[in-house]
Amino acid sequence: MLRPVKMSRVVVAGSKNVISPVVEKLHELRLLHIVNYNGSQPQFEMGKPIGKAKEYSENLIKLRSVTRYLELNKKFPDKAYPESQVLSELDNLLNNVGADVTATYERIVAIDAEVKSKQDQIKSLTPLAVLPLPLEAYYGYDSLATFVGTATTPVDADVARVSPVNEVYSGSAKNATFVAVFVPAEKAGEVSSVLSEHGFSETSVPKLEGNVDSAIATLEGSIKSLEGEKAPLQKKLADMKKQYEDQMLATDEYLSMQTQKTEAPLRFAETANAFVIEGYVPADQFSRLKSELESAVGGRLEVSLIADKETDELVEKGEDVPTQMDNPSLVKPYELITRMFAIPEYKEFDPSLLIFIFFPIMFGMILGDIGYGVMSLLTMVLLKKKFKTPGWQQLINVVLISSVWAIIFGIFFGEIFGPLGLWGKVMGQLPEHELEAVKVAGLYFGEGVFGSLGRIGFWPGIDIFPMDRLASNAVLLLIGTSVIIGIIHCSVGSILGIKTELAYGEKKHAYFERLPVMLVQVFFGLLVLGLVIGQMMLVIASAIVILVAMVMLVMGPEGPMGLAHMPFYVSNLISYLRLLAIGLASVGLAFAANQLAFYVVMPMLSGGATDSAEFTIPAIIAGLVVLLAVHFINFLLGILSPFMHPLRLHYVEMFTKFYSNHGGGVEYSPFGHVRRFLKA
Amino acid sequence: MAVVADAGTLYGLLAVGAGLATGLAGIGAGMGEQGIGAAVVGVVAEEPGFLGKGLFLMLLPETLIIFGLAVSLILMFAWTPFSGIVTP
Repeated sequence: MLRPVKMSRVVVAGSKNVISPVVEKLHELRLLHIVNYNGSQPQFEMGKPIGKAKEYSENLIKLRSVTRYLELNKKFPDKAYPESQVLSELDNLLNNVGADVTATYERIVAIDAEVKSKQDQIKSLTPLAVLPLPLEAYYGYDSLATFVGTATTPVDADVARVSPVNEVYSGSAKNATFVAVFVPAEKAGEVSSVLSEHGFSETSVPKLEGNVDSAIATLEGSIKSLEGEKAPLQKKLADMKKQYEDQMLATDEYLSMQTQKTEAPLRFAETANAFVIEGYVPADQFSRLKSELESAVGGRLEVSLIADKETDELVEKGEDVPTQMDNPSLVKPYELITRMFAIPEYKEFDPSLLIFIFFPIMFGMILGDIGYGVMSLLTMVLLKKKFKTPGWQQLINVVLISSVWAIIFGIFFGEIFGPLGLWGKVMGQLPEHELEAVKVAGLYFGEGVFGSLGRIGFWPGIDIFPMDRLASNAVLLLIGTSVIIGIIHCSVGSILGIKTELAYGEKKHAYFERLPVMLVQVFFGLLVLGLVIGQMMLVIASAIVILVAMVMLVMGPEGPMGLAHMPFYVSNLISYLRLLAIGLASVGLAFAANQLAFYVVMPMLSGGATDSAEFTIPAIIAGLVVLLAVHFINFLLGILSPFMHPLRLHYVEMFTKFYSNHGGGVEYSPFGHVRRFLKA
Repeated sequence: MAVVADAGTLYGLLAVGAGLATGLAGIGAGMGEQGIGAAVVGVVAEEPGFLGKGLFLMLLPETLIIFGLAVSLILMFAWTPFSGIVTP
């Protein structure tokens, strides 16, 4: 489980006249991860596409442009189509339906463009209304130059200075003067420079006729009729999308599959009469691959296994063995978190199982509230029905499992929507004198409420659970717990790191880089523990081990520079305090919500009543609104931060100890296709 | 001159110190996050799929607050250096 699936390198060689059935069979089996032939050997050349490759890819391009017009997205299939139906309706879909969609879409685009141009015209016409000229007066002159636009200051006098013959019309528009200047064409240059001194900015006048207002009315009328034409076209597209969506996606899938098959030989090596396919297959599937292929073409090809030693040589030359993560279905969702960071290399560990163990516990410890836990559980169950794509399902499952842990920790912390709330009322309160006795003994961990199993004392006489996370003893206990979780978490990472380095044959890195880190972290924890409980022997012993580890680091691959990482290893452990800290923040907010509602809003609105029996109905409603609002915000934050922070603890604190130091791996993606819209 | 302070004043100073530790660390983390946040918003505008990774990157400087908070918690709950000095 911690290791990826074992892979074997395979060579499939055969005569070219069986290439199509071989490709067909490989596609159907979905077993062989093909290693592309890079053309490095002179006796082989790269293969050429077989069959109707060109036709398929042309059709695919045609189809894709239609699906783009319809704005089709990948979705969960409602219905699967048999291949024969797709094939028989292919022509109709591509040519008739496709042409219809294209025409409709293009008409809509044209209408949009026309409406846009008419709106622009209206925009430039509107200010012209302040001038007393008909529209045809603005254009069509040979000997006159026209300037129409806005100016910041009056222009008449200056225009008259450079061109005594002129006509100037002006009217006031919004924050500027709108002017139309007519001068003889030969004076145009001078007038233009004079105008620019007055902050003139030119407006283009549409070539229309008649009076401005009626021109605008005509334009608005035609925009309206264009919009009227557009609406049914859009509805038509929407209807077509509904009608053909699944069929188009099925056809897309069919054509993609065919293209994949016909173009597969591009990845093979070929001679004049033979082809060679190289690739990887899970070791336990080799015999199945061999027998299926041989039976498909009646033995006219050779499927052989390559020895591990030869594979190792290839790997050293830089070839990647594909990684297929191998986890039970419960752990599978957590592969998402691994994948988000990097695919493990073939020789590395797959940390999904560890994430499965640690992540939900950390999430639970931070959220730690029965109310929020149940709410997030219900939300996830609802979302699970709504979002059916594999990525979403994985994410939802991750949070789902984590929510269960949040409920478990909620029982430890005695929180139902925050402390000071429902727990004490549901479980009953500890008698006052016993509470005092516990406080005097310095063993007060919480509100002194009964646990779900009566008065829980895990150790008789010490009423730790349920604890109130805001009580100082509880904070100290949780600081300790967080750091201990951190030490375990980091140590597991370090152990895997040592093993990984050994697998790569890097002994020096394993024993003088990874091991000392683990020693430093474990014994740093013990040293602090010794200080806290006052065992000087433990402190001294831990200090000695830490010194030894530091010497080992100096002897390691990085030399004295290795010591520079020491603060990082210590801060790694302190970083785990976020398990407590983020939790405290969310408890604080929940606490504030409850305080605000029950001790501020409700009493104040009830005219200073202190007993809950005296609260008036409006006061209770107002209090509930406050409760709902603040708890809802806290719930949203309460899902986000308990998710992101453990994620960081894994990526930064744990993965750096062992993961992806040799670069990410390549995921096993066998040649073939998972049918979603097509029936097998 | 001997510094004389009563237990209440010392505890008050301790609380101020704890507040400063978390508060200043928070400012530091915030300054770190502002750059990352701006960059993440930029990337998410181009490519919405980056949101998850972006949020994660936003969290990296938050460790600073955790350090500040750790100091505060130790000051408030686990640090009693004045218990011997303070005399009524």
